[in-house]
Amino acid sequence: MLSASYVGRRLAQIVPTLLLAMVLVFVLAHLLPGDPAIALLGERATTEAVERTRQALGVDRPLIEQFGLYVQGLVTGDLGRSMILRVPVAELILQRLPVTVMLTLMAALLAAVIAVPFALIAALRRGSALDALIRGAFQLGVSMPVFYIGLVLLIVLAAGLGWFPVGGFGDTIPDHIYHLLLPALTLAMSLSAILMRNLRASLIEVLDAEYVTFATAKGLSRKLVLLRHVLRNAAISTVTLFGLHIGSLVGGAVITETVFAIPGLGRLMVDSIFSRDYQVVQGLTLVIAVLVSLVFLAVDIVLAMLDPRHST
Amino acid sequence: MKRMLACLTVALGLSLGGGWGTSAQALTRGGTFTFGAYADVIFFDPVYQQQTVDIWFSLNIYDTLLQPTADGKGLQPGLASACELSPDGLTMTLTLRPGMKFSDGSPILASDVKFTLDRGHSKEEGGNYYFLLAAVDSVDAVGDDKVVIHFKRPDPTFPQILASFYTAVVPEKQMKAAPGATLREKARAFSEHPIGSGPFILSSWTHGSSFVLTRNPYYWKQGEDGKALPYLDEVKVEIIPDDATRILKLKAGEVNGVEFVPFSRAVELKADPKINMVLFPAAKIVYIALNIRPTLKDGSKNPLADKRVRQALNYAVEKKAIAQIVTYGMGVPQVTLPPASTPLAMTDKGEPYPYDPAKAKALLKEAGFESGLDLSIYTLAGNADNAAELAAIQQMWGEIGVRLKILPLDSSTGIAKYRASDFQMRTAAFTNDYNDPSQIVSYMAYFPAYESNRSGFNDAELNGLFEKSQVETDPAKRAALYRRIQEIYIDAAPMVFLLDTPYPVALDKKTQGFVQLPLGNYLFSGVHMEP
Repeated sequence: MLSASYVGRRLAQIVPTLLLAMVLVFVLAHLLPGDPAIALLGERATTEAVERTRQALGVDRPLIEQFGLYVQGLVTGDLGRSMILRVPVAELILQRLPVTVMLTLMAALLAAVIAVPFALIAALRRGSALDALIRGAFQLGVSMPVFYIGLVLLIVLAAGLGWFPVGGFGDTIPDHIYHLLLPALTLAMSLSAILMRNLRASLIEVLDAEYVTFATAKGLSRKLVLLRHVLRNAAISTVTLFGLHIGSLVGGAVITETVFAIPGLGRLMVDSIFSRDYQVVQGLTLVIAVLVSLVFLAVDIVLAMLDPRHST
Repeated sequence: MKRMLACLTVALGLSLGGGWGTSAQALTRGGTFTFGAYADVIFFDPVYQQQTVDIWFSLNIYDTLLQPTADGKGLQPGLASACELSPDGLTMTLTLRPGMKFSDGSPILASDVKFTLDRGHSKEEGGNYYFLLAAVDSVDAVGDDKVVIHFKRPDPTFPQILASFYTAVVPEKQMKAAPGATLREKARAFSEHPIGSGPFILSSWTHGSSFVLTRNPYYWKQGEDGKALPYLDEVKVEIIPDDATRILKLKAGEVNGVEFVPFSRAVELKADPKINMVLFPAAKIVYIALNIRPTLKDGSKNPLADKRVRQALNYAVEKKAIAQIVTYGMGVPQVTLPPASTPLAMTDKGEPYPYDPAKAKALLKEAGFESGLDLSIYTLAGNADNAAELAAIQQMWGEIGVRLKILPLDSSTGIAKYRASDFQMRTAAFTNDYNDPSQIVSYMAYFPAYESNRSGFNDAELNGLFEKSQVETDPAKRAALYRRIQEIYIDAAPMVFLLDTPYPVALDKKTQGFVQLPLGNYLFSGVHMEP
């Protein structure tokens, strides 16, 4: 059974991960060549204006001092202010977080909805022409870059057939979902291919297992055997893989959000890196690290529920 | 009016231009124009604007005392209906149009103009363009409708500055009432819901996604149909960073117009019967910046210190081919230092260095580089246009014996190296921020300001001529000074002259009256949607 102490232990493990992420991201952001004041003012700015801006931004202080201020802020829940947009980083992230979370969840859901039935069909008909067709089609999905899938979907389904809007985010919640369908599908494509292949392989392994033959011999219905014994056991490695790849969904969102003009965290990240907006890059990385850690935690909990041996 | 003319013509030697032209046919009023922009505005404030995007949209919300004409070359009255300059050029009197209001219905007073100019003028409170008002000594509000500006020295560019984004009028009381400890903080809060006197009001703004401009019922200017502008009820600006997606949105009919169409796509859109592909003349040049100091930062000897080598590099580039490669034939060879749309640009002489590889070789031989030479150039990594341009130039220069090493850098590093004069050549572009040749000349040719674009070019005669031009109020004399400045600069060739490029905007067939000024500003007040 799932114990509270297990969840507590796993939560405690997240803390050092986040600390490490915090230090790494601070160092990496400041290793980027280029000065935010110059990125902000452009090449024609006077030396005086650049100096003034460096002081105002606090980037003229020693790195250690900047890091100290950063950690001090974090402890009090303050992620700092964007150097470029001049608003609190937390506010910026909170505005965009729901968009990316919604996109990622929809993509994850779509990936699962696509992968599971096809994996079942392919596994049950293993070696048939249908199996080969499904595997071939999914292979295509995994080998195409995300931005390319996105553009093809946009050209065919949105601009061509007019079934979907060409990018944007809409104004109401149903409108958001409608706008996010294509980008979520784009993100889901490669993930569903990975999941399908993995699940198919595990299904085949489990289908050959003695306990399945035994269950069938016991006279259990085929549906019950498939759902309770086959899918549940085969799902363990797929759920692990799924969890690992949610992180890459967030990475994929960076590209997808740009192609589909969605105002989410991914686009904020791209814009902030280009403008050397250190505070926002740091804040975003931390938030994404928290999100990914939480997903991993959720995966562990699901695994523990599927197979109690995992919680020991 | 006669004296007013004098005030407006000081800067330009041009007469008052016409209005912003739209055809005289019956116009449809109302409706929404949806525009796809590549990036969002950061700060909707005339003084604290942070980037070009902020400037380009701002004239729809804020109004200026004088206004540019649609071709961008001339000036016409704006919030000020009259402008008089004293004979010594040291006092300017502006008379405000009677009965004008801000978008919240409050009157526009002379004190608001004073506040606006004082704010821009102050080094502490001003933005990065405070130097534009450097000649101003003090500003007085006389009554409610007269503003008197006293100058430390005559400034022939001043009327153009009064037509630029930087001096757009803001309401003193409302801005000061905004929350914040400093004026900059107040302006930040104010700019989320700005109050101006331009044709539109910012009615909603979702940062990073879209903003909506609605009709300002108090706008003073009249349209072609004799009724108040703007024609539209609403302009919706959607932020679509990806070039391909922006164009797809236009093709799908989800937006009415898009900016920054890549030149490679403009050809295809020109052929599309449902799309109106427009190239607005831009005050923009694309060129190669040179460092002409005898020694480079790394201590090596610099062949570019020899004028003959620089001229040879210019002769060896076939600009028309570059225009084809980079802009698909939509750019034209650069003819002088300032962009061709700039007043006083010397556009009557044609290309300064027409393609002539034989002459280029002869010049190199004369300079002692008969057996060729090695040069290096910094460029922006990942920029497809720069890569194509340099691949062609590398080959063209190869024919006269120049071995060109191309070094791609990210933008921030490139700018830092440039500021330290640590380069031999670099790909570059320049756009005017206000409509006068003084900006580009002070930046690129006048050594004391920016070491002539960090090139090290330092010509005593040119420096003197420029200083004279900055206080010369006689239009004819000023024009003559600028002509000589351009001649000197062209002969010395501290740059490789390449192209003048336009702004490519794609619109659907319904959209009429769309204007983008050479400085980049979008004017939505004249847009009307025809069924």
